Amino acid sequence: MLRFIAGRLIVVIAVAITLSFITFFLLNYAIDPAQAVAGEEALFEEIEQVRIQYGFDRPILERYFEWASGVMRGNFGESYYWNKSVYLLVLERAPETITLALMSVSVTIIIAIPLGILAALNPNSIIDRFALGIAVAAQAVPNFWLGLLMIILFALTFPIFPVSGDKTYFHFVLPAIVLGASSVPPVMRLMRTGLLDVVDSDYIRTARSNGFYGWNLTINHSMRNAVLPVVSVLAVQLGHKFGGSVITESVFAINGLGRLALESILGTDIPTVQILVFIFAFMFLIFNLFADILNAYLDPRLRK
Amino acid sequence: MIFELIAKRLYPQAFSNNLSELEPKHIFLRKSINHLGFKFGLTMLLIIVFLGIFGPYIIGISPYEQDLTKRLLPPIWVEGGNWEHIFGTDGNGRDYLARILYGTRISLTIGFGAAFVGMIIGITLGILAGYFGGWVDQLVNYLLTCQLALPGLLLAMTVVFLIGPSITVVILVIGVLHWTLFLVVSRSATQRIRNLDYVLAANAIGASKYQIIFSDIIPNILNQIIVIFTLEVGIAILSEASLSFLGVGIQPPTPSWGLLIAEGREALFFQPWLIILPGIALFLLVVSINMLGDGLRDITDPNSKIEIQSKVEMPLSNLKKNINSKKN
Amino acid sequence: MRIFKIFILTILLFSFSPYQAFADKSDDTLVIAFSREITNLDYHYGTKTEYLILGDMIDDSLFYVENENLTYAPSLASDFNVVDDVTLDVNLRQGVKFHDGSEMTSDDVVYTYNFIVTNEKNRRHKKLVSWLKSIEKTGKYSVRFNLNSPYANLFNDLYRIKIRKNGIMGTDGNWDDNAQATSLNGLGPYKVVSFDPGVEVVLERNENYFGGPKGNPAIKNLIIRSIPDMGTQQAELMSGGIHWMYNVKKDVGEAMAKTGKADYQIGPSLRIGFLVLDAGGYSGEGNPITKLDVRRAMNHAINRESIAKNLIGGPAKAIHTACNPVVFGCFQDVMKYDYNPEKAKSLLASAGYPNGFDLDLWSYRDKEAAQAMADDLGKVGIKINLRHGKLAGLNKARKERQIRAYFGTWGSSASPDTATISNIHWRDPNKGDRNLSGDPKVNELMLGAEQTLDIDERKILYAEGLKLIAEQAYWVPLWSYSEGVLSSKDINFKQDADGYPRIWNITWN
Repeated sequence: MLRFIAGRLIVVIAVAITLSFITFFLLNYAIDPAQAVAGEEALFEEIEQVRIQYGFDRPILERYFEWASGVMRGNFGESYYWNKSVYLLVLERAPETITLALMSVSVTIIIAIPLGILAALNPNSIIDRFALGIAVAAQAVPNFWLGLLMIILFALTFPIFPVSGDKTYFHFVLPAIVLGASSVPPVMRLMRTGLLDVVDSDYIRTARSNGFYGWNLTINHSMRNAVLPVVSVLAVQLGHKFGGSVITESVFAINGLGRLALESILGTDIPTVQILVFIFAFMFLIFNLFADILNAYLDPRLRK
Repeated sequence: MIFELIAKRLYPQAFSNNLSELEPKHIFLRKSINHLGFKFGLTMLLIIVFLGIFGPYIIGISPYEQDLTKRLLPPIWVEGGNWEHIFGTDGNGRDYLARILYGTRISLTIGFGAAFVGMIIGITLGILAGYFGGWVDQLVNYLLTCQLALPGLLLAMTVVFLIGPSITVVILVIGVLHWTLFLVVSRSATQRIRNLDYVLAANAIGASKYQIIFSDIIPNILNQIIVIFTLEVGIAILSEASLSFLGVGIQPPTPSWGLLIAEGREALFFQPWLIILPGIALFLLVVSINMLGDGLRDITDPNSKIEIQSKVEMPLSNLKKNINSKKN
Repeated sequence: MRIFKIFILTILLFSFSPYQAFADKSDDTLVIAFSREITNLDYHYGTKTEYLILGDMIDDSLFYVENENLTYAPSLASDFNVVDDVTLDVNLRQGVKFHDGSEMTSDDVVYTYNFIVTNEKNRRHKKLVSWLKSIEKTGKYSVRFNLNSPYANLFNDLYRIKIRKNGIMGTDGNWDDNAQATSLNGLGPYKVVSFDPGVEVVLERNENYFGGPKGNPAIKNLIIRSIPDMGTQQAELMSGGIHWMYNVKKDVGEAMAKTGKADYQIGPSLRIGFLVLDAGGYSGEGNPITKLDVRRAMNHAINRESIAKNLIGGPAKAIHTACNPVVFGCFQDVMKYDYNPEKAKSLLASAGYPNGFDLDLWSYRDKEAAQAMADDLGKVGIKINLRHGKLAGLNKARKERQIRAYFGTWGSSASPDTATISNIHWRDPNKGDRNLSGDPKVNELMLGAEQTLDIDERKILYAEGLKLIAEQAYWVPLWSYSEGVLSSKDINFKQDADGYPRIWNITWN
């Protein structure tokens, strides 16, 4: 098991490095860093001054290694758009995104798990069809549109929740629903099929023949076996949420990492975007690693 | 009902009671007429495609014709609407129905285009990895992990910054970000098929790699690929809408639904139809494509329990036998 | 199962957290919204209008544009004396205190200007005071400015420089650019209580404010929130979360006013819109735009009146000059191009494009107007491929000389002088990328008008320059904008003639 984890960790690090390089390369070609620092009203000579002063005239590989070694030493660089160290910026914005990510996964759990269980207990019934309908709908609804509808409905027509902002947990409810909805289909389907598979399996049949029946049986026997894969999928979904909240955060004016990323891209702030892409990728990889470990624990054949 | 009638008319032989004589396409047909979601999705998609292609001609109004004196007219069901502009007009006085109808073409073009790009990338990598294995497989696996970990939206924005937005760029960017499912499926199928007896035999008698790939592997993964392709079309359509919503996708005045929603965003509370209507169009199109995709998966899944005829289950072996007998 | 329980508990916990009460009249707190974020409190490090507004609230400068006649009035200065073309004596107001309680003296003024001039890193403001040769202390409350050469827009620049406390930005050679970025010791009518970059700025009235041309604010507490989405801002306004928002388009504003939940005012603005044309052939020689008849055809093709009236509304009007008609020096008797598609077509034909041509038109704001223009140009045969995107993309393409025509707007930042728009847009083309005229004469006239203090001479130079620009159709001047403001029924907000929002004048209703 340890060897498995170590192997996967090496992959995670290698992938994170590759991605950071790709981003660095792309950003520095998409945006002229000297122009971005000098500002839009700058004269040509000023842009060239900045280029030399900040060392943007050096080869891109050299700059990448400088950046990478800085990150290793915990120096994330200075943002020239936000006028502060990227490290502090990320530290300030991270709690909002973490709250949103956790709450949206909670929303997913609250909707998807009961629906999945109900659907599996009553296969091909009305409930099952309803659950399937929810999954199909959640998969097809664009989240920026859902966000705007939510604001019209639950913040204005029925003023239950605040429109925007991130002052209290209440502010996170609508965005969490919007963000959580997109993970409902996979989790619900997995829950349903997982339970159905277990219900069909021999030992449940045995249990049934021994007189156990209904809910009790489902909870005690099936859940344990069906829930671990669901947890691993939830972990993957949670990993997605960090990079996936860009639109939701800007619609609801939540000052998390997603909105920071969007505004930094529009403000051509290369150092911040660079770090954020790295963080989003890293979070995703870490949560995937967790899911992989869980799967490996369940299915020893995967530990090759 | 209509489905069944048409199907019986076209392929009467598919409804013979002798199950062992059925060809694969007949099995497909009989399974599909019993699959509600599939029928629903297909019908809806056909209607939407029809509207997208012929709708603009039927209503006879150009989606680009502006009239600044007729801006933001309400749709017919809102007070002040009239039949001249059934869905009202947008901020530049263009007919909203015409724009939404025309937007179908944009969404479909990008959906199919991007899914196609993704498919080419995914299948190529998948077959390479599955066929050659070893370090090729490991390299592809590595690429796969990179792709999955990429925050796609941010990267897409950067790339669009770099090249400038256009339909082609949007198709390529979305395609390049959506190939992982194709890869996974084609790799595992290739791994399975390349070890089958007849492929080994073909290899032994000197068939080239390309022959094997094109004559043995691709036809065998086709079913799964079609299913994934359908689902990816839906995902690509949503991605395009997101990019356009953020202003880095399709360029105005081209009526992309995501762009329409973004344009209506500021008047959210006073002209809500400006975002609700294109949103519904987007939702219906993606729902129909997803239902079609889910349906196709159920129908082509050899383990599926969809009934061919009431209470008679189709043994999977028949299907396989049919495929194999065609090969040999 | 345990994970399940934890999640349910978390949710329950969340739903019991207290719901924050709205700030309002009862606790004397005004909340306003900006759609662009404030990332730095120090005006010297920002370029957006939002920084200017904030700067006027928390900082003060020697001079200020007062709202009645749009002229420069002494603010921290008590009076001034123009000794000669290159010397200005300024007496300072006495007894003015920084937010930390210390008194402002000439040392602070001298320090500030020396900081701006010698700080290599803050290029924008260093450039702004490039006219300054030296500043000297002539008494505890008086300073003398020595200029390199006569300079006309001097008072505007004296308004742009916010006075900093002696020593607060470090010392020469060791300037600390971020000293005032997150907390600020200013002189303005409001003090900074707290600041969360990109989120909100909380201000409190400066009870020791000296009044001056800005006057003392009526409202004690002021919160500026960054809400990027205009729809969200409207919702906040309707639900009482904010009291004031600006840059509101007329459709939204009028609809909101109809609901009775807010007041809408649409007044004049100094912002103008224009198309910059690559007459100089920077994007490739011999392109259609280099031909005078083509540029004139474009001037005739666009129905500016219709767009100004129908899309922008309010006092927006079609303009024919490369400046807003209301500002100083904006000479109006230039060649005017009426809306005449037929004439545009014949001009195109005579230029050798009877069937028109394809053109990429770049733009980054006002998408509706950009599309309306593209439509108009299309009708005379110029097939527009609209490149509507983000400002950064446009800047990069312009620097790389890929742009043949772009739709620009310029807000002049509350500065009622043609100099403010022309010193950016008609710069020497070897130094900047906005002047695409390829005509050295334009640069000479338009920037020459800044090099003299003689008002009549300035007017003549601007008139010559603007005539040349119109005759050669280097731009397509489009329209002046209007500024729309939505304010809650609880407050009184009066819009000024320059469209610049003076937030500190807001009172409770």
